[in-house]
Amino acid sequence: MDDGEVSNAAFPLHHNNQTHHPTSNNPPPLKRKRNLPGNPDPEAEVIALSPKTLMATNRFVCEICLKGFQRDQNLQLHRRGHNLPWKLKQRTTKEVRKRVYVCPEKSCVHNHPSRALGDLTGIKKHFCRKHGEKKWKCDKCSKRYAVQSDWKAHSKTCGTREYKCDCGTIFSRRDSFITHRAFCDALAEETARVNAASTINHTLLGANNIAYTLMQQQNHHPLVPNNMSTHFSSIFKPISSSTTDEISSNSQTSSRPLSLWNMGHHPHDTTTIMPITHNNLHDIHHQIGFATNPPPPSIWMFGNKHPSNGSQQEIITSTTSANSLPLMNIVKNNNNNNNSNNNNNNNHVANQLVSVPSLYSTQHQSHDHDQTTTTSSSAANMSATALLQKAAQIGSTSSTDPSSFLGSIGLKCSNNNNQGQDGNNKFCGIYSSSWSEPESSTGDLTQMPPTKRMRVQNEDGSAGGQTRDFLGVGVQTICHPSSITGWI
Amino acid sequence: MMTSSSLNSDDPCFDGDGKWATKLLRECARAINDRDSSKIQHLLWMLNELASPYGDSQQKLASYFLQALFCKATQTGQRFYMNLKSASEKNQSFDSARKMILKFQEVSPWTTFGHVASNGAILEAFLEAGGEKNKKKKLHIIDISNNTSTLCTQWPTFLESLATKSSDHVETPQLKLTIVLVKESLKGSVMNEICQRMEKFARLMRVPFEINMINGVEHLWKVTKEELGIVVEEEDDDDDDDDDAFIAVNCVGGLRRVEEGERDNVIGMLKSLSPRIVTTVEEESGGSDDSCITRNDDDDFVKCFEECLWFYKIYFEMLEESFPTISNEKLMLERECSRNILGDLGCNNDNNSDHNKRERGVEWSMRFREYFTPIGLNDDVVDDVRALLKRYNRSGWSLMLPSSKVEGIYLKWRDQPVLWASAWKP
Repeated sequence: MDDGEVSNAAFPLHHNNQTHHPTSNNPPPLKRKRNLPGNPDPEAEVIALSPKTLMATNRFVCEICLKGFQRDQNLQLHRRGHNLPWKLKQRTTKEVRKRVYVCPEKSCVHNHPSRALGDLTGIKKHFCRKHGEKKWKCDKCSKRYAVQSDWKAHSKTCGTREYKCDCGTIFSRRDSFITHRAFCDALAEETARVNAASTINHTLLGANNIAYTLMQQQNHHPLVPNNMSTHFSSIFKPISSSTTDEISSNSQTSSRPLSLWNMGHHPHDTTTIMPITHNNLHDIHHQIGFATNPPPPSIWMFGNKHPSNGSQQEIITSTTSANSLPLMNIVKNNNNNNNSNNNNNNNHVANQLVSVPSLYSTQHQSHDHDQTTTTSSSAANMSATALLQKAAQIGSTSSTDPSSFLGSIGLKCSNNNNQGQDGNNKFCGIYSSSWSEPESSTGDLTQMPPTKRMRVQNEDGSAGGQTRDFLGVGVQTICHPSSITGWI
Repeated sequence: MMTSSSLNSDDPCFDGDGKWATKLLRECARAINDRDSSKIQHLLWMLNELASPYGDSQQKLASYFLQALFCKATQTGQRFYMNLKSASEKNQSFDSARKMILKFQEVSPWTTFGHVASNGAILEAFLEAGGEKNKKKKLHIIDISNNTSTLCTQWPTFLESLATKSSDHVETPQLKLTIVLVKESLKGSVMNEICQRMEKFARLMRVPFEINMINGVEHLWKVTKEELGIVVEEEDDDDDDDDDAFIAVNCVGGLRRVEEGERDNVIGMLKSLSPRIVTTVEEESGGSDDSCITRNDDDDFVKCFEECLWFYKIYFEMLEESFPTISNEKLMLERECSRNILGDLGCNNDNNSDHNKRERGVEWSMRFREYFTPIGLNDDVVDDVRALLKRYNRSGWSLMLPSSKVEGIYLKWRDQPVLWASAWKP
């Protein structure tokens, strides 16, 4: 059926679908808010057009002069100009039934009458978008569109949109946003593909793996700015502070060789290089006759002189891996090759840290599985276009009683707890409740009354305005190392 | 010819275009080649006086090359190189490396050029395979890139692209990524971090994903299919390879790290994996038509030196232009460069295969042609690359498309071709 139209009478209801219109008494008015497209009025007339007819630009033809028009209204306007006798001026009085259209593409879900679309323009656009060639291309980002109006709309906003990562950084470019996001510490678990459209990341979805959110929560980013400041402070340290004692005896003449060879090196290098080659250098430099200029005071030594931050960073990084590794072993089944790496790291890190991580993670294994099943079904309904919104974590805390668990370990809360905001840090609250002898070092903790459980649950409800997740990280705030590091 | 030992502005090296470092370095290289030790010493001294890793690009050039030349002259290159390398590995942390590469990608398309081209080619080939009805469901990418540098930053955008472009498929294709690290070039903790993050990100993109890292591969050309986890189902002949994974090989900067004598063998090994597509990106060599043959041959030292000088001069200038004046990341990259220069020039024996000479795109093409046929990058991919370059404010970046003699595409900076990207099929 290449030409012409085929129209059916009212189609049988609930042919295959059981999902909509349980009764025909209340046909859903199509003008209401947008539901899933293609839930048409059951009384409507279904039209199936061939692709050629569908895309024909002038469907309405004047019978007098055979001029074609895109719209019916335009045709009517045109007909008036023909000075038709009154009889012919009227349209056919037969009441026009509401028409819905099916997509000519056989494999398309809208090909079936029960999923017909109500608007001719709509079906045309749909057909182009899904089954048509994308002829229109944005030259800024080279995204392609089949429908010209889509392309125009995109061009207006392309490059103006900003993408915001969970960690607070804003990007104007999508590709840098994506790459950053993938490597960002704030990457939270998502189960659904979400739009990149929003710059505010507020979707409330269940996390795929609750334990991951628990573990992976910490945002190292307080460290990142700290690193920078540390870098800069160490940058302006004079070079001599990093030199080793071995050189001091030759400080006069060897200051120059030192700067020669240490430019661009880490100070660690000096300890290894100097003893070995010092004689050579010394000789040669005597021959060449280096002047003994003191190195310029503004030499930068960076990347190495941040012992405190460095080690802290180290630990936290390994914390992350430690915490997630047991989970990784459990959760991912396919990754055979990685297991050896994991196991190695497991052992390694376990030596460094209290064994609490693994205990904690085992405790939550059951949660993994529970959460996984519940959230995967909810994820199925999400639509599927690109990226990245933040999922707020599930608001519930663990059902087991951590106080007894932690009491049995005798865990002491370290100073790291102090860094979090006390009100939001529910984990801090949980842990501090379990202490038999509360550590007095941190002010926050002494504020916590012994009946911690109660308070935590109150916070659950009342803190909704401030924070969405129960890990104490608000959406807008720059992260603080709450929770996880809190109990190391 | 330098006759006086004092530095004054009458010196001919200060004439002309102010590229004093280039001139001095060249002189020094020649002196080394000629084994003229007094001249060597004199020039080294002069360079030392003027060089600074924190100065302008000439000063930096002088500083980093000076070190390499010194090592070459004193034959201490190997030791220095090892020290530098171990020091940097000790200091390597995921955070610092990540910061450096992400910042670099933000200010310069140097790395992302290759990524966009390769990703586009792989995705295109994958989505077209099997035709409209019979879309492939599994994609297995073998990545033999120089991941110490790139840290797998190629893959997030690939995942996103895969997810988006296959949104009309019945089910999202599965991606398996096998990263091959030659000679344990990444610390275990760093590898771990990367794997974790990739997995999480793939979950975010809702792409079924698996990542494996194979560390410590000694000789790339000896790798086998089994080691890479390529499963070949040969028994089911009636299964018209519907379930077989689509195999792609991705190599960004990886070929250069192979010793010259084994490069053909590596490409042959790739062929034995039966990939459907091989994408490769390499730094373009500035060598003249008679590029240096071997490193050890002293007569060719000058040629190698010239090539290095050409390349790194551009690279340092590019870094200077792209980054803000004071930048940690730039400094880290420059340091890495200095190590590479030392490796390229200062080391004598060719057991040190971390660093090897660049070849020109046409030379790589000739090697590939033994085993593969070239695929042109299609318009969409080229458009993507163009759009990428547009996003970088600094002018100077441009795209050179293949002519009849040349395969692949080139990234040019200030009209000099600096990177070459191409795609091949068996």
